[in-house]
Amino acid sequence: MGQMEQRADRRSGGMMPQSAVSRGEQGMTHGSLESRLAMQYEPTTYRRRVAGHDVIVHCHHYNARLQRTIEGARGIDGRGILCAAAETVFSDQLRRTFGTDDDEPTRWALAELLYRHLGFGRVDLAQIAGGQISASSSHFVEGWIAGLGQSERNVCTFTEGFLQGVVHAVTGASVQVKETECMARGGKCCRFEVVHGGEPRAPVLVPTKGETLPIPREPGGPYLRSANVDEQAIIDAVVGMPMVGDEFGLIPAFSVYLANMPADFYNQICIAFVEAMRALGREKAAMRLLVSDAEHCGMNTFRGIMHSPEWDGLIAPMVQGRADALHAIIAISNALGWGDWHVTAHTPRTLALESRYGYEAVGYREHRGQANNPQCAMLTGVAAGVMELVYGEGTVEERFGTFASTEERCISCGDASCNFNVERVE
Amino acid sequence: MRREKVPACVHPETYKYYLEREDVMATWNRLAERYGQPRRHAGFRTMEIGAPRFILRSTLLGNPITVLRRRDCTPSDILELHALLGYSG
Repeated sequence: MGQMEQRADRRSGGMMPQSAVSRGEQGMTHGSLESRLAMQYEPTTYRRRVAGHDVIVHCHHYNARLQRTIEGARGIDGRGILCAAAETVFSDQLRRTFGTDDDEPTRWALAELLYRHLGFGRVDLAQIAGGQISASSSHFVEGWIAGLGQSERNVCTFTEGFLQGVVHAVTGASVQVKETECMARGGKCCRFEVVHGGEPRAPVLVPTKGETLPIPREPGGPYLRSANVDEQAIIDAVVGMPMVGDEFGLIPAFSVYLANMPADFYNQICIAFVEAMRALGREKAAMRLLVSDAEHCGMNTFRGIMHSPEWDGLIAPMVQGRADALHAIIAISNALGWGDWHVTAHTPRTLALESRYGYEAVGYREHRGQANNPQCAMLTGVAAGVMELVYGEGTVEERFGTFASTEERCISCGDASCNFNVERVE
Repeated sequence: MRREKVPACVHPETYKYYLEREDVMATWNRLAERYGQPRRHAGFRTMEIGAPRFILRSTLLGNPITVLRRRDCTPSDILELHALLGYSG
């Protein structure tokens, strides 16, 4: 019996059906499949790469809020944006894990493994031939319930898109997958079905990007450092963490749920969201919403991190004052792949940051070419959020909006770096 | 012993349990016997036990213990854990 199957049996008391992973293991060891998903780390840009895609580590606070914003906007097909991006990105990422001699069971097994490995939960593809799929755990369900409470509707749009991408990668078919039962609404598990006989749908898009933006060769800065905070030790510790899904396919680290999300997914959904809102004359509102989600993320995620045993074990002994906490937070965010950003100026009321290779700006250039306006909504919001967390007073709600952040220059506009200024709001 | 609520976590009922110094070793021994041996993470100087319904995590000093409940964690799971921790509310 394979390792995965033993784990599944322990949890379910032996009732869980044999997964595609354990079926795929009959010809291929678990370790050999897992080795195809090994993370490669690029220290000069802090980028993490899994199966040919740069992945960004974000937590359930950000992912759930981003989903709510995009799906909740009136007049646009937010669910369609999320689903289409997921199917395009994961069809491509999964295909990159395939070997030339892989049979179909091995490919389904790799799909289950990829979902779990990245921290999205557990999907069971054992009944995929009959069009039935179940999921026993989900990053997005956990995130929604923990951050936003019980839902009145199914929340696994991302997984629908992921599964559409999986079917496309394994069989070449463009299908529609619908969630029929969701744990966020009290279901025992999430259930999905491959819709047959529905309206014909457009083929799954092949990812199209322009030339990869080169990594900057010239050093940036000068940057401010804290004498008390060993940023490299923090980065080494984060990079050394086993940032892969546990037996539930989740990554409970720093007291939050993390997931390795392809940068292309974030970029595609944010670009498509802003463009759809632009068509309604609401582009500025779209950017404000994305910045706001990130501002909440900056506060909530790092508030969780600052109360975690990981913080207590390594970082708290370095922190002598609030500025040290800020430098430690920036180091963690770099290790998570957010932006290769560094402090250039800092007072308790102001903060200036420079990002050299942020995934939003670089991604925009690769997807759309040169932009007219700065595009780094996530870094803009997080910059304000971390200042509110470190220097604010009161509850999260009371701190929100007490610092304002602007992106003055952006790589997406042709600048050499992205520069952010944060000021306390009087 | 006492406990403090931890904000912005994976579960709204997340607490740090502060053990009496003299009880730390014995408590971890009881937890290991019931839920399995702790794993150590040298980089962050932490250790944890991954039980089916929650994760027990602390620094290598063993105190306080953060209890991260999974969503299917039940009141009886917590009652049993409290008995092992020696926490009576």
